[in-house]
Parts: sequence; structure tokens; C-alpha cells
Amino acid sequence: MQEERFEELAGDITVERSITLPADPDTIWERLTDENLVGDWMEGDVSIEARPGGAIIMTPAEGTPVWGTVEEVVPGRRLQWSWRTDDGLPTQVEIELERVEDGTTLTVRETLLPWTITGLPPQWGGSPFPRAFLSAAA
Amino acid sequence: MIPHDVFAALADPTRLEVLSRLANGGPATATELSAAMPISRQAVTKHLAALDAAGLVERHAAGREVRYTFDPEPLGDVVRWAENVGDTWDRRLGRLSRSIE
Repeated sequence: MQEERFEELAGDITVERSITLPADPDTIWERLTDENLVGDWMEGDVSIEARPGGAIIMTPAEGTPVWGTVEEVVPGRRLQWSWRTDDGLPTQVEIELERVEDGTTLTVRETLLPWTITGLPPQWGGSPFPRAFLSAAA
Repeated sequence: MIPHDVFAALADPTRLEVLSRLANGGPATATELSAAMPISRQAVTKHLAALDAAGLVERHAAGREVRYTFDPEPLGDVVRWAENVGDTWDRRLGRLSRSIE
């Protein structure tokens, strides 16, 4: 049992989920990137600038805010960002949409970033995210 | 809170192989491990020190050497992290699905 558990972890530390939704990719994309819609299903206030380098900030109803940077945007196809909480581990989230016969299959992968082991990436300078920015965004 | 040193220990491929050998092959000394791997005893010792710091191995004296045993306990934190993240996405995707139907 212990060995099985270890083998399971020996690859990338990634969580993956997939769901097929009865709508076309553009409809799903709107729910991923429209700030008026994304918070409804993400469980919190979400601010997202859907362009590479844009900011993403989620303030959940309970718990600490999560913030980061949008990395890849292919409308109707693919959205990727990296984020972290003030006291948590940085992760990368990839969402892919694929048109299928009865709608759209959405696949999400959340992966622990390699630089978790070496500290924060250079663009974050290892310093805490400015609280003022969080309040301004809320 | 997730211990960063556990992830650090798991993120290095060579260190992961050292740990994998202990997990699957049973307790071993640094000399035994280096004989089975293409790295020096000194390098193995360094990796074992990192694994020890993360609590992933236990040390036992074996004559003039130290024998290392795999300790899976800290991996429970990694499993719990993955379970939490998975549960969160299950809830989110459930809500997304309901918002569309």
C-alpha cells in the first residue's frame, strides 16, 4: 500500500479533472473569462484579465485570496495561469476545451510548480503580494 | 500547511530514484545505493541528507555505516493536498455544469 502510494506520486504532482458540458466551446469560454460569470462557479470574487501577463485574483467566500498571472490565452480552446496564496504553494492551472459531439469537454489540470522547491519566481521577487492591490481588486 | 521540504525532496529526479530504491528495495546504506546507481557515494549521501531533512527516511546505525529506511508518513500531506485540490475542482465544475443546463 505504501509503495503504491509512493509510485503514484513519483511523477508530476498534478490533479486532473474532466467534464463534458452541453454547450459549445465559445459559451464555456465566456464563463471562464467574463468577470461577471466566472465568480459564479469559481466560488468567490474573481478578477481575471484574459491576456498573457494579465492578473488573476480570486477572493473566496472563506479562506485566503489566491493571486497570480495569466500565461496563455487561446480563445475557445485553452487558458493557463499560475497562482498562489500568501501562505500556500504556487500552482499552475491549465484549462482546455475540446468540441465533442454532445457539447464541449473541459479538462483542468492543477500542477505544483517546480520552482516551489527553490522559492518564488523572479517576477514575484520572493516578497509578499501587496495587500493594497488585493483590497483595490476586491 | 504543506511542508515545502517534502516537495523539494520529491522534485529532484535522482533523489526520487534514491527514495524509490529504498521504498521498493528495502533498507540500504549509502554504499549499497551508490553501487546500484551511476552516482558517487558522496552524491548519494547528499541526497539522503535532504530526504532525512524532509522526514522521508529513517536512519539506523549499521556497524560503521548508516542504514536508511523509507518513511512514507510525510507523503500523506502530499496526498491530502491533491485530494483538497481535486475536491475544489469537483465543486467548481459541478457549479459550472449547473449554470449551463
